[in-house]
Amino acid sequence: MKIDHAQPLEYSTDQNQLNILGFWIFLGAEIMLFATLFTAYFTLSHRTGSGPTPAEIFEITPVLIETFVLLTSSFTIGLGIHAMRLGRKNAMVSFFAITLLLGLVFLGVEVFEFMHYYHVGATYQTSAFTAALMTTLGTHGGHVTLGLFWGTFIIIQVIKRGLTPQTANKAFIFSLYWHFLDVVWIFIFSFIYLKGMM
Amino acid sequence: MKELFPAKQVMGFVFSLILTVIALLVYYTDMSFAVGMTILLVTAFIQAFLQLVVFMHAGESKEGTAIYTNILYGVIIAVVTVFGSLLILIWDM
Repeated sequence: MKIDHAQPLEYSTDQNQLNILGFWIFLGAEIMLFATLFTAYFTLSHRTGSGPTPAEIFEITPVLIETFVLLTSSFTIGLGIHAMRLGRKNAMVSFFAITLLLGLVFLGVEVFEFMHYYHVGATYQTSAFTAALMTTLGTHGGHVTLGLFWGTFIIIQVIKRGLTPQTANKAFIFSLYWHFLDVVWIFIFSFIYLKGMM
Repeated sequence: MKELFPAKQVMGFVFSLILTVIALLVYYTDMSFAVGMTILLVTAFIQAFLQLVVFMHAGESKEGTAIYTNILYGVIIAVVTVFGSLLILIWDM
């Protein structure tokens, strides 16, 4: 295996570079996946039937918490990758752990939000609007849940094996995934919540 | 400690917070739907681009061009899917 020391660890082998490029191509497909969910939501959000409208069930407080928590977690994982490039393993692990904790807070608030919807009579089967809403939010929340497990395993591996071209590569790819989830949330925040409450 | 907080990323974070606050204006102030949507479209896409460049380091490897091309392709398909459907199913054009 040829290691190029002029590059950061995560790019240091040909295999690593291909892994990163491959993950970007996967993210391209993820963009399209979420586009179809947004399409379903935008075309169905007026079909509320006898159920509530978006403005009736959305609440600004949980949405604000979710947004700032996820935004901050995207920043802290960025700092984690920066620490990794400096070779500061402990700092990197700390930033990754903070990121996952923030992710957990996000999920907790989202669970609370879904319970609120249930209590005000908006369930998955209430109307086309609630079905499209919960499919979109749920797909994003499912990605975050997966990310919590994935990130935990990355942290364990970095602690056990140290910063190697392989672990650095995996950590960097995980950071791409996490940033992507924040990007998707920005669109959910803007075009589902704020649009619905405007 | 200071070396762990690079200026570029701190600035990127502050800027994304500012963009979020600007987006929140559509909720906290009275404005028409058209003006609100314009603000949201602008702030959301700037913020997505910010994440891509500052935090995801999209352009820094030798595959930068391939990465940007791939993302641009994804975004084009996304925009066509969303607005194409709206055009036919909602706006009745």
